[in-house]
Amino acid sequence: MKLRSLSVQRRSLVPAFALVMLACGSDNPVTPPGTSPALVTLGVGIVADRFTAEINVRGNYAYTTTWGFRTAPGNAVKIWNVTGDTPVLVDSVIVDNVRTLGDIQASDDGQLLVVATEFSPGSIMIYNLADPTKPQLISRYTTPLTDPGVHTAEVQRVNGRLYAFLCIDPASGTPARLVIVDITDPAAPQQVFTAQMGSPFVHDVYVRDGILITALWNEGIKLWDIGGGGLGGSVSNPIPLGSVATVGGEAHNVWWFHNGATGEKRFAFVGQEGSGSVGASSSGDIHVVDVSNFSSPHEVAFYHLDGAGTHNFFVDETRGILYAAYYNGGVRAIDVSGDLSSCDPANKSADGRCDLAKMDRELANGPVDAGPVYIWGVQLSGGHVYASDMLNGIWKMNPVP
Amino acid sequence: MGVFMIIFASRKVFAQSETGRPDLIQLGAQAIGVVTRESPAIHGQDLTEGYLTQPLVMAQLTPWGELLSLKTTIDFEGATIKRGELNAGIAGEGYIDRRHPHTYLHEILLTSVKRFGMNGPSGISLTVGKGFAPFGTDDPMARPFEKYPINHHLSQILERAVAIGAVRAGSWMFEAGAFNGDEPTGPGDTPNRDRYWDSWSTRASYLPWRQAELQTSYARVKSPENASGGGADQRKQSASIRLEDPQHSGYALFEWSRTADYSGSTRTFTFNSLLAETWAEYDRVNGALRIERTERPDEQRLADEFRAPLPASDLSIAGRSRWTIVSARLAASLFSARSFVAEPFVEIAKARVSPTLKPSGFDPRQFYGSSRIWTVSLGVKVGFDMTHMRMGRYGVAVAEQPGGKMGGMSMKGM
Repeated sequence: MKLRSLSVQRRSLVPAFALVMLACGSDNPVTPPGTSPALVTLGVGIVADRFTAEINVRGNYAYTTTWGFRTAPGNAVKIWNVTGDTPVLVDSVIVDNVRTLGDIQASDDGQLLVVATEFSPGSIMIYNLADPTKPQLISRYTTPLTDPGVHTAEVQRVNGRLYAFLCIDPASGTPARLVIVDITDPAAPQQVFTAQMGSPFVHDVYVRDGILITALWNEGIKLWDIGGGGLGGSVSNPIPLGSVATVGGEAHNVWWFHNGATGEKRFAFVGQEGSGSVGASSSGDIHVVDVSNFSSPHEVAFYHLDGAGTHNFFVDETRGILYAAYYNGGVRAIDVSGDLSSCDPANKSADGRCDLAKMDRELANGPVDAGPVYIWGVQLSGGHVYASDMLNGIWKMNPVP
Repeated sequence: MGVFMIIFASRKVFAQSETGRPDLIQLGAQAIGVVTRESPAIHGQDLTEGYLTQPLVMAQLTPWGELLSLKTTIDFEGATIKRGELNAGIAGEGYIDRRHPHTYLHEILLTSVKRFGMNGPSGISLTVGKGFAPFGTDDPMARPFEKYPINHHLSQILERAVAIGAVRAGSWMFEAGAFNGDEPTGPGDTPNRDRYWDSWSTRASYLPWRQAELQTSYARVKSPENASGGGADQRKQSASIRLEDPQHSGYALFEWSRTADYSGSTRTFTFNSLLAETWAEYDRVNGALRIERTERPDEQRLADEFRAPLPASDLSIAGRSRWTIVSARLAASLFSARSFVAEPFVEIAKARVSPTLKPSGFDPRQFYGSSRIWTVSLGVKVGFDMTHMRMGRYGVAVAEQPGGKMGGMSMKGM
């Protein structure tokens, strides 16, 4: 190649290389702080072949799902005996023709176990739990409307009938949607409602007292009357009550807090699922929404943890403690008692919301000194805290003393 | 090969002018038949596959010279490589480790140029239609290697509804364009109307001498991977130096590009790429070498493990891996008539992959069975009047004096 002038070439190269040098930057993960007291770790049940996903504990047994691909695909439900300090794996159920599993939940009577599957075509698996160590498949519910995947499946009883509320992933050209299925007869599930919703995702719902709360990502949360809102709504005909766009959007999950000490039903906690890299980083706050007036919910407080973001959570309603899965930040126990909308001006953010972290409401965190963790879900059951960890498996800890 | 019979038949109808003036109609076509062996391709297994890839027809209509011209490129990959083409490390549009097929209507653009002088390159132009946004470097289809570099989605923005204004003053070229942010979701997809003009890019180029080109560009792209909107936005940067010798027998490209994902105004992940490639021809033999180091997001896989959910179900990634790939190519022009090229070739590439975020939800060694992947491809490229093709620039931003053929510096076989 003949080049006209090396000096001209050198001059020309300078700005390009300068650009390259200026472009150097870093988005390496930040280690979340662990300054609060430790939740005492009792034991861990190791899962090394797969990434662990959601957890559901009922009595002496815990069920965990699996996700993605490690050395094997995330198509296994792990069954654990949790009577001792260290959860013991007793069996696994392999779900055919799926890449990843998400939600898992036992019905309130303990008779059924429901598992959500991704990706296309998407389904829920309904198992009989007559023998809690040997779930027996009753039916697999899949329709064109569960395609391309069921991200979560919330199982709740409304007016005596058992329903699964399915949050369906969006597909190319097809928005996300909610599908509600009557599984009172688990052998013959019946769809009773569906609607497109979410911007662009609907990731989870919360059902209680005849109120359905949907987490609609950038649209925040929306409350619906399904029998308890006074507008004549039902599960097959939900009627909107009100909505609020939580700060930053990315509304992922909800817990409507019924305060066991005061009977108050004022606050809903909304998990924000921001960007993250599995195992390494996460982002997103917990948002506190005042839902005392269903038609005008509004955000009053938030909890932020540097270097980590929240995922699913569980509330000890008797003691007013929110246990939040915080991915690489472990489990965070947060005091949610009292009036969360009231705080000193010094503890408020610029937009007037109370900052629960500044209010020193983090009570404890765990597991500590355990190496890297990536906590997906958490549940308080039988006086212990159980957490599913994508990297390690299942942790058993003591709750906040 | 039926497609080719039709193309060659067309040639007889639209014969080119020999007057030296711009032809009223220019036609070009190409396709590559290739067999690729990748070791390991997935889970420790080798795969060998064959394709008819990059089959396209390009036409340019210039009834009023530069005042108004129509350019179109039809790409048949949706029919020939629907499952994607083995290409270790590449990711985009729902395909991963296989290159996705491009849309059938790859380009269709109207361009109007007004020169400031009779014969000088300076002028202004306006381009509207579907094609490349003014960002980054030439499309890999117009470069030496059959296998794409894996920085394709970091270094080019293509198949968008675009409106581009360009100004050239001597050796300087400035372009700015608006376009739809959504990437295609399939070969038959068209830009979403409700996304028109929600994204923009700009590119500045400098030609220190006739066969050299420096460019730097910047883009803001709204929700490219979630066509309905609401997904992560991207801010993209690119800088490159392109050199070519006056005899069109040698070429080199040095390229840096970066894409940063944003959630609102918060930067989440960045993906960087450095690439250098060179090509040289001696008599009927030509060879090329490419070195690339590119980061890519790792995502969950579908039942077909060469596919990823599109759109993803949230804003997270399974991990980020860094791919270092050294590729070499040797080719020979068996037959090179005035406008017809038949070129058998062999390409060999060695890729090394490692996760950059730890712990990670994706371990390449566990997934592929090795952190090193070899790829060997044997094939034949057949081209017809494609020797002047560059892809990714329009109007006065094409680095060529007025009156030339289809856009840009020329190289046989590329």
